[in-house]
Amino acid sequence: MNKLPLIFLGVFLTFASSWVGLVAYPYFALGRMQPLPDEDTGGYFPPSTPGLADAGQKVFAANGCVYCHSQQVRLAPLSTDIEKGLGPRQTVARDYLRAQPVFLGTMRTGPDLTNIGVRQPDANWHHKHLYEPQTVTDWSVMPPFRYLYRLQEIQGQPSDNAVKGLSGPHAPPQGFEVVPTDEANALVAYLLSLKRNYPLPESPEPPVK
Amino acid sequence: MNVGRVHGSILREQKEPKDGYEPVPLWLLTLFFAIVFWAGLYLAYYSGDFRADVFNPARAAAGAGAAPAAGPVDPKVIGKRVFTQNCVICHQATGLGVPGQFPPLVGSEWVLGGDWHGDNHLVKILLNGLQGPVQVKGETYNNAMPPWAQLSDEQIAAVLTYIRSEWGNAAPPITVDYVRKMREATAGRVDPWSQKDLQAIPLEKVPEAPAAPAAADTPAASPAPTLPATPAAATAPSTPQ
Amino acid sequence: MNPHSLFSSFNPANEPDTLASHERAEIDASTRLPVLLFFGSAILWLLIGSLLGLISAWKMTHPGFLDQMAWLTFGRLRPAHLNTVIYGWASAAGIGVGLWLMARLCRIPLIHSKLLISAAIFWNLGVFVGVLGILAGDSRSIEWLEFPGYATPILFIAYAFIGIWAIIMFRFRKPGHVYVSQWYLFAAFLWFPWLYATANILLIWQPIQGSAQGAVNWWFAHNVLGLWFTPIGLASAYYMIPKVIGRPIHSYYLSILGFWSLALFYSWNGMHHLIGGPFPAWMVSASVVASIMMFIPVVTVAINHHMTMRGHFDALKWSPTLRFTVFGAMTYTLVSLQGSSMAIPSLNTLTHFTDYTIGHAHLGLYGFFSMMMFGAMYYIVPRLTGWEWPSAAAIRWHFWLVASGIILMVGSLSLGGVLQGLALYDPQVSFRSSLDYATPFRLARGVSGFLLLAGHLVFAIHFAVMLLKIGRRREGPALFAEPSNPGAATV
Repeated sequence: MNKLPLIFLGVFLTFASSWVGLVAYPYFALGRMQPLPDEDTGGYFPPSTPGLADAGQKVFAANGCVYCHSQQVRLAPLSTDIEKGLGPRQTVARDYLRAQPVFLGTMRTGPDLTNIGVRQPDANWHHKHLYEPQTVTDWSVMPPFRYLYRLQEIQGQPSDNAVKGLSGPHAPPQGFEVVPTDEANALVAYLLSLKRNYPLPESPEPPVK
Repeated sequence: MNVGRVHGSILREQKEPKDGYEPVPLWLLTLFFAIVFWAGLYLAYYSGDFRADVFNPARAAAGAGAAPAAGPVDPKVIGKRVFTQNCVICHQATGLGVPGQFPPLVGSEWVLGGDWHGDNHLVKILLNGLQGPVQVKGETYNNAMPPWAQLSDEQIAAVLTYIRSEWGNAAPPITVDYVRKMREATAGRVDPWSQKDLQAIPLEKVPEAPAAPAAADTPAASPAPTLPATPAAATAPSTPQ
Repeated sequence: MNPHSLFSSFNPANEPDTLASHERAEIDASTRLPVLLFFGSAILWLLIGSLLGLISAWKMTHPGFLDQMAWLTFGRLRPAHLNTVIYGWASAAGIGVGLWLMARLCRIPLIHSKLLISAAIFWNLGVFVGVLGILAGDSRSIEWLEFPGYATPILFIAYAFIGIWAIIMFRFRKPGHVYVSQWYLFAAFLWFPWLYATANILLIWQPIQGSAQGAVNWWFAHNVLGLWFTPIGLASAYYMIPKVIGRPIHSYYLSILGFWSLALFYSWNGMHHLIGGPFPAWMVSASVVASIMMFIPVVTVAINHHMTMRGHFDALKWSPTLRFTVFGAMTYTLVSLQGSSMAIPSLNTLTHFTDYTIGHAHLGLYGFFSMMMFGAMYYIVPRLTGWEWPSAAAIRWHFWLVASGIILMVGSLSLGGVLQGLALYDPQVSFRSSLDYATPFRLARGVSGFLLLAGHLVFAIHFAVMLLKIGRRREGPALFAEPSNPGAATV
């Protein structure tokens, strides 16, 4: 008996079953979702990201931040994400509608970033942290991203967007300042846009104990 | 077609592999069916009715966990919820903060009142945020607390009342009217406060709320008058732990 | 009956079957250039990948190490390491082994093999361009699919040749019984392009919105492991074990059960990388169920291999092929059972987002697949070159260096990962503690990287010496020790 068509059929059908369930189904059920309107402000959940934050996603992707930082809030008792304050509720599919690519992440070498824009709303803090993480958190193992910044001589007045309060071995010497490049600004705009504490009907806040 | 020189390595090979025909052990088949049975049960219980909008495997159908609506809710419950949603991230569920990073709320003079710390400072922090070096219980912190003006007056009053009555803290509640008054007073302000800014503002205390207090277990309201000044901590109703 | 007695020597069936040997020699000769090209490039990528992995490992505990340049930042080196070892080393080695096995088992020579040489060149070009692209900052940050869009078409073109050839060989196989390894290889060569095409289309060219990307991403990544690497590894084990010891595989029926249950269940596992994540509950539950169902194919294959090996475990003392292959096969059972356990939500609580997952990944791709490939290469290369491995000592060093390296790596990451997971779960414990617990184990992992790199260097040099046929010609195979009965040296 010619085994080839039989094996081919079996190989195809078993593969097709998971293709239907894990690829086609999410494509139709999740991939076509729309943001929900927010009656209070006339905006949407999730809120649209400003253009700079959108560009920041690309910087986040180019530099591989997702390999240490996840962006998922999970429910109890599977996790203590909510108790630890990573977010008020489980993140669900709609939360990631604006994300491209979607940085769910699979490692927490560094803290989860789902709501980092809520925890750390100060742009200068982010610039300091990206420039030399160990000066902000001395036990951090995050690599420095000094190459996203420019060291330049101060011309008269310090620039408006110069990073303030730098310290440590790579702090700018007297008469110099550290200025973020466009990439750094985009990245920080992206990080500041990471706020997923708006309500969504499909993810009710867990009852308070 | 080139026929390669037949190497010693090929000559010494065994024949190509063949199949034997031992039967499948019965115990393996039994195990197989037992696992399939378990699988069916698991899928029945933990699949959220196979709905696309149920993200919690422990829930049978959407809406089961929806927050109850209608009726006035105990402000302490609101306060705790607001705290858990927004403040736990930094100040932690224990109110102890993170050493060196986020100041504690337990026994903090900023929360309970101190030499120059008044209720007005506390509300202003929530409305506009706080930056720069701050001293809390003898330690210095230098982080950035975001403004929470987007919370309603009720929510701010509730969460402040919560932190002033939790973890052994005992201070009078913050009223909704007081928050409203503070919000009006700081209406034009954009920048966060610094410790220096706040220290320049004289201490104020919340006027005793004439309306029935909602929470049953808040400590007795302060007998102090409504006017500011008198920096003495003697007006504080109870000593923080 | 003693097969080497005078009496049995009268039975022609007991003579080395010169007809079959000539046939095998012809087949081997037809596969020589493409397979050696895939092997050689795979080993080169193995060296590069090991080095990238070593540097990445040290950066995790010493963030100031080589921190000046953008193209050496951890976020780029780590995916460069991943893609180098997956597509440069493991896939190329798998393709080489798969093509040779398919040709041998279908008992037809590989025709027009020069086209496969182009395929090998294109494949390497694709990997090279892709890795450089990642280091340059064009990584997609989609795990297992980081190559920028300009590299993937090159891999597709290369694969088109490879896949078509493998299917054609199967189509035109000599009539007769189809052996289990052929099913696995046929399936693997079909599954991989479907996986790769779907993932590229839905994640890169026409990306779907929202968390659906995560589902497709991990459906893809897990299936590259389960439907591409695993079948090739198992095909090799099913060939090498009975071949070296000269016994049939224990049970054809177990082979069938193992193959089809793998095909059905493995592909549903993907969501177990995302337990608790932003997906409809049923998808995650389906993957949990499928991950437990994997007990069936894994235990089935383990029984099949074990019962075949029973009574012949002493061959592990002297046969390099068998030792690497059985190490890989036992690790396959171990890592699969570990994986099934990690999918149980209450255990996943502890291991998700931790180094434990990384240890598991290396146990699978290295402890199982790479060791399996080493074993296959030690068998295949003498038959393609007409030269024996010059140094048994080199093989011994290779084995012990990489075996100790992978055991140290997986052991340290597993222990560290569990402690990290406990800290991440406890709401009273700060994030810093999870880092502090993990650090000493990450240092141990860094040390293991040196062991692995050293083992690979030994292997690479040995391979080069083998190709160049340097030194005195060895008569008879390079073995770890003298085999217990003379004439049993069938490697």
